[in-house]
Amino acid sequence: MTLESVNSAVTAQGIRRRYGERTALDGFSLEVPEGSVFGVLGPNGSGKSTFLALVAGAERPPEGSLTILGGPPTRSVRARIGTVFQENASDPLMTPLEYLLFAGRLFGVTGQAARERSAELLERFGLAGRAKDPISTLSGGMRRRLEVARALLHRPALLLLDEPTTGVDPEERKLLWETVLGERGGATVLLATNDLHEADAVCDLVAFVQAGRVVATGSPAELKRNLRKQTVRVELHSASSEVEAQIAELAGADNVTAANGELLITTDDAAALAARLFEAAGAAIRSLRIDEASLEDAYFQFVQRRKEAVR
Amino acid sequence: MSQTASAAAGAAVRPAAPGGGAMNGARVAAAIALRDLRAVARARSQLYSSVLTPLMLLVFLGNGVSQGLEPSRLPAGNFTAYLVAGTVVMTSVFSSTFSSASYYRDRDSGFLRLLLSSPHDPRTVLLGKSLAALLIGAAQAFLVLAVAAPFVDFGWQHGMAAGFGLALLTVVLLNLMLTGLAQALATRVQSMQGFHLIMNLALFPLLFFSGAFFPVDGLPAWMKVLAYVNPLTYAVDALQLATYATGSGGFIGYGVDFAVLAVLGAAVYALGFSRLPTLTWSGQ
Repeated sequence: MTLESVNSAVTAQGIRRRYGERTALDGFSLEVPEGSVFGVLGPNGSGKSTFLALVAGAERPPEGSLTILGGPPTRSVRARIGTVFQENASDPLMTPLEYLLFAGRLFGVTGQAARERSAELLERFGLAGRAKDPISTLSGGMRRRLEVARALLHRPALLLLDEPTTGVDPEERKLLWETVLGERGGATVLLATNDLHEADAVCDLVAFVQAGRVVATGSPAELKRNLRKQTVRVELHSASSEVEAQIAELAGADNVTAANGELLITTDDAAALAARLFEAAGAAIRSLRIDEASLEDAYFQFVQRRKEAVR
Repeated sequence: MSQTASAAAGAAVRPAAPGGGAMNGARVAAAIALRDLRAVARARSQLYSSVLTPLMLLVFLGNGVSQGLEPSRLPAGNFTAYLVAGTVVMTSVFSSTFSSASYYRDRDSGFLRLLLSSPHDPRTVLLGKSLAALLIGAAQAFLVLAVAAPFVDFGWQHGMAAGFGLALLTVVLLNLMLTGLAQALATRVQSMQGFHLIMNLALFPLLFFSGAFFPVDGLPAWMKVLAYVNPLTYAVDALQLATYATGSGGFIGYGVDFAVLAVLGAAVYALGFSRLPTLTWSGQ
């Protein structure tokens, strides 16, 4: 899918949003093609949540323009948006069936249609057996599934998912995604996540966001194509700026990034670089691993979280 | 796991469109109120204590004071009958405050986000929540009156049915004002503890200077002034007129009582609607 091939579900152009002294969005521009599964990736505080909040609230941005589902952001557009918030929005005293019927009323699905749709979604999301139990008795994974079912209840044209699988175990996560992708119909999915593997697996397109701006957009394959072929992951016995500087100077070390206690070094020839690494700083290296390029590598290349972050 | 966008884009999307207009807004407000009422009905201990506590106060304080004082020094010689109006007002104060605090529970549980991400006006959301608080407060207060009535020697100067009707109207207007005040505060005060503190600080003194527990006639002049600028005084006055009074002498009168409560109710709702809650987002 290319960005120009279909209509846009969401178009943001030059959005600026400030909270007091803090700039949350600083010329944020993005086009989300209709029908796509679009991932917005970025570190905490990068502006992705602010952007999702603008879309979910169908709020007119103070600066720049925002078009949602072909029109200006108005309250009535919210009727065509389904939102899964980062935290659950359910009332623990309600039952899943009551929660879905209530959400149906809010979004214009009532009576028999609401009952049938609720029953269908509860079945599809594996919650039919717990339909009349208090939500407080459901497991974390079940509650997340219920949230997604609630967001899909009114068959939205745009589904906003803010880290929908946070705290969900891998099996639940797989089931959740299979069901979401199966149930969404033609809805556009706009996903905000920090999970790069998840984004790589489910997204047609992704945007990397940093400091309130989109720094790269494309399909995961396109973004990875521009990378060096391999990544060497080096764990040091202890962080040392001297050693890191030494490594950064090595021939073949293209881009050195620190993340999660590791140095990620992109290269075209990992084997040759590994030999040079052990020669130059063997005593400081605890472990070394060679990976093929992933979306994570692309992310760190574009988002530029430099080695200072490791300390 | 991935599904291509081109395949997905071919599937038909049926956009939902909740009907607009006042009728739909009223239905949504009713649904929000119903959900709050259901939550209270499920918390039975809260329900029982909110009615039993004022009844116990009525029995112990009413009898204790009646027995301990000279009958000639009591209003109409029967302190328990006198105290009923104040107890009903007190029940309304506590109940509407407690019910309105559900705003914070909804905010903290995330449920408020769902309400505010819906296509409905935030005023509809506030109205729904206020309606529930009003119904709960009025029902509990009226229940206290209904349970006490057979055991207390009321005058029922307009007859029992009319007396109950006037008392019901008073209780509804009082709770309208109290829930409006509570909602106006809830959208302005960040923490539930702060909300309870302000409500208690504001309403407790008002309760004492309202004639709820002792007549305002015998108070010093400056306290009388406080009593007459106190909205609860007008609720106590109307309730006493409806149940225990044997004439209108020494009372403010229904016209002024109802007008004050209604005007204040409208004013606090206008204040509440002047600052509406907005959709907030984690990490925003």
